[in-house]
Amino acid sequence: MMSFIKTAVGGLTGICRVHGHQQGLLHSHLKILAAGLKTYEIPPDYRDVVLPEKPKLKFMKKVPNFKKARKEMKKLRDIQGPAKTGTDFTTGEYAIVALGGGYLHWGHMEMMRLTINRKMDPRTTFARWRINSPFKPVTRKSLGHRMGGGKGAIDHYVTPIKYGRLIVEVGGKVELGEIQHILTEVAKKMPFPAKVMSRESLAVMQQKQADMEQNNQNPWTFKEIAWGNMMGMRRVLSPFDLNNHGRFKGKFHFPGRV
Amino acid sequence: MAATLCAKLLPKQGWLPLTQSVRHGSKAVTRHRKPVHFLKQKLLAVTQYIPPTRVIPPGAFPSDSSRAPTKESDLVLLMRKDLQKVFQDCRMLAVVQNNASNAEDMLLLKNRLHKHNIFIKFFPNQVVRSFLQDGIYSNMTPLFFGPTVLIVCKEPKVKEMLKTLRSSPQMTLMGACIDNTLLSPQGVLSYSKLPSVSVIQGELVSGLTMLTSHTASMLQQHPAHLSALLQQYVKQQSPDGAAEDAPPKAEEAT
Repeated sequence: MMSFIKTAVGGLTGICRVHGHQQGLLHSHLKILAAGLKTYEIPPDYRDVVLPEKPKLKFMKKVPNFKKARKEMKKLRDIQGPAKTGTDFTTGEYAIVALGGGYLHWGHMEMMRLTINRKMDPRTTFARWRINSPFKPVTRKSLGHRMGGGKGAIDHYVTPIKYGRLIVEVGGKVELGEIQHILTEVAKKMPFPAKVMSRESLAVMQQKQADMEQNNQNPWTFKEIAWGNMMGMRRVLSPFDLNNHGRFKGKFHFPGRV
Repeated sequence: MAATLCAKLLPKQGWLPLTQSVRHGSKAVTRHRKPVHFLKQKLLAVTQYIPPTRVIPPGAFPSDSSRAPTKESDLVLLMRKDLQKVFQDCRMLAVVQNNASNAEDMLLLKNRLHKHNIFIKFFPNQVVRSFLQDGIYSNMTPLFFGPTVLIVCKEPKVKEMLKTLRSSPQMTLMGACIDNTLLSPQGVLSYSKLPSVSVIQGELVSGLTMLTSHTASMLQQHPAHLSALLQQYVKQQSPDGAAEDAPPKAEEAT
């Protein structure tokens, strides 16, 4: 019995000695691990999110079914200034927001539809159009045609978009980071400056604009000068400027103005 | 005859207007930005957004204790000393606003004032205000606004100063402190119309001496005349003598 214990102790000491010999070698490879607790962020609650029946973007008609197609005038007023409708979110959480005016063709819509439908996950995400299918006719004269001889035939249809209009809304059980790359890819290809925004960031932008109007330290405001016709300034201002206070020039938006 | 009249009155059938207005106005181009009108560019530049000044948070570097004691420069102290000397020595201190008068005008004005021994002094408004803040002249503070100059003289030569200032319309008199009395421009004007002290003194002396000489001459006349006058005086003082007021007075006047 004693001999067994002795051998065990001897073995232990031997092991220790061996361990002691290799201590320097071991130390060079030793990793000191600190024990701790990581606090994870609570994932967002998607229990009340209801996905619609058809989550993908619908196909848009290339040509509206008018009974009689009429040639229209240019009517550039429909891309000037800020949008009156379609500036707020309805069902989705993230959207592409137009930051200028312009015309969307059917081709743009196809591009958007194909890109978003292909890349998004239809089990967790849905996308919705916030614009109508092309309805405004654009005429062209046929190739090699001489000038004159009246207005040309209707070539294609477009959808006019104004500043601040939402174009596509995306929602569902997703966060912005998951779909931002898809939407930015699409937004880059728009014929006007466009940006991906969430509900919060859009509200922040609108709030910022309201704050700027509130806290402007400049005693001279465009509105007062334009409406008061100071120094006959109305001579160079359009009626369009009276309502927009110099924030727009045609379809272009000047950021940072009040 | 009738046919020609009808032809003149009735509009011609195949007539085209001689001038046709062609519109070269706005082109409906949205591809690029159209140049903005120059006046509108100016307006846009004037009406730019100006953010409110940022409030310095209480704990920010540098701390309040190190920032507060800002020592005034030696130049400011020197100028304040000069100003003090000016306020002590001079009896007339006129504050004049300098409305863009050029160097030549100023030189001429200086020369003209110098003939009357009046001087123009330039002090920064900040220095003047800091000097006036705590003193007997603190009521003069609102006069120092904008480009102001001080016209000082050891004697109150208001008339000469006003005469000189009349020839230079760029200089506007704001007010003056003459013999430690604050005067408005109207006050200065009425002050200048007053006769000088020696004239006033002479008038006073002559008035006093006239009374005594009158009494002396009356005493030198016949005593009967004096007694008659005294009787007349007693009659006037008594209540029943009121009716006979007018003739003796006339007599006295003669």
